[in-house]
Amino acid sequence: MMAAIAQTIWEAPVGVETDVARLRRGDPEALGALLERYQNRLYRYLLRLVREPAAAEDVFQQTWVRVAEQARRYDPRKSFDAWLFTVARNLAIDHLRRFRPESLDEPLPSGEARGDQIAAAPASSLDRAIFQERAARLAEAMVSLPAVYREVLTLRFEEEMKLEEIAEVLGAPLSTVKTRLRRSLESLRRKLEARGPAGDWV
Amino acid sequence: MSDHETLRGWLSLAAAGALEPQEQAELDRHLGICEECAAELERWSEMARGLKRLPTPQPSPRLIERVRAQLESSAAARTERRWNHGVLAFLVLFSWTLTLAGWPIVRLASRGVASWLDLGFTGTWTTLVWYTVLTWLTGGVAGAVLSWQKRRERRLA
Repeated sequence: MMAAIAQTIWEAPVGVETDVARLRRGDPEALGALLERYQNRLYRYLLRLVREPAAAEDVFQQTWVRVAEQARRYDPRKSFDAWLFTVARNLAIDHLRRFRPESLDEPLPSGEARGDQIAAAPASSLDRAIFQERAARLAEAMVSLPAVYREVLTLRFEEEMKLEEIAEVLGAPLSTVKTRLRRSLESLRRKLEARGPAGDWV
Repeated sequence: MSDHETLRGWLSLAAAGALEPQEQAELDRHLGICEECAAELERWSEMARGLKRLPTPQPSPRLIERVRAQLESSAAARTERRWNHGVLAFLVLFSWTLTLAGWPIVRLASRGVASWLDLGFTGTWTTLVWYTVLTWLTGGVAGAVLSWQKRRERRLA
């Protein structure tokens, strides 16, 4: 029962195939449609990974140019989400290596996540204030995690990718994804508990 | 390690929906009899829900416009490149056709003139072959140099 519910919750969005098929046929409109469809998710992923908005914007732009160039290389039997995020990931890693080789796993002081939009915020003002305070603490704790942990957390919880898709993006076996996911959650919880009374934010 | 400890170690992955169906079933049975683990799972689940509801940063409209403009200009450049390749292929094909079709005509003409004027034209074929080879070789080298230069310019840009 729980497994069935989990499967439904983590199911990938549908309707991308048409745009992808059009893109592979060389339809220039298709790229615009995909950009619109993925812009928020891709930007969020890149921001979590590189932490600096300016860097995330650069890699975001490079990613779409690369997608346009390599669209014909995409294998339609595989997940487009995974392919797109792999392209973005490779460019983000290049960026991190080029500009911050010494601090790949170190938190940046200016790396706070931007809160332009609050998803599913509670209705009452008190609840909303508590929710925002908790979200800020969680975002703060998350940004202080190493890049490999931030990445797996955002792919699983924010992008809602299946474990198999995450494995494809990371280029790692499923067992590694699970281990990394468990360690990242444990590390995040330790950070949260260190920032306040245990369970206070729960 | 006891079953309780082992299953407690699965709780974070359970909150992430990352357990195998048989592991999930085993954990569900344990949760029915272990209040401590049930409470602990609730804490992990709350954190997982928090992660799912984190504020979503959005790209600025300016960035999206910039990307769209770049994609459009890249698409235009790709179309132009394809057109140039097509024109080049046509010209190469046309040149070869003209060359190959021209040989019998020249031969026929030279024979007619030779018989009429009683001239040998013994070097005609050799001259024609060397002329053709030299012309195409020069063209090929010029094409390769231009292409190399263009790639270098693109790399530097």
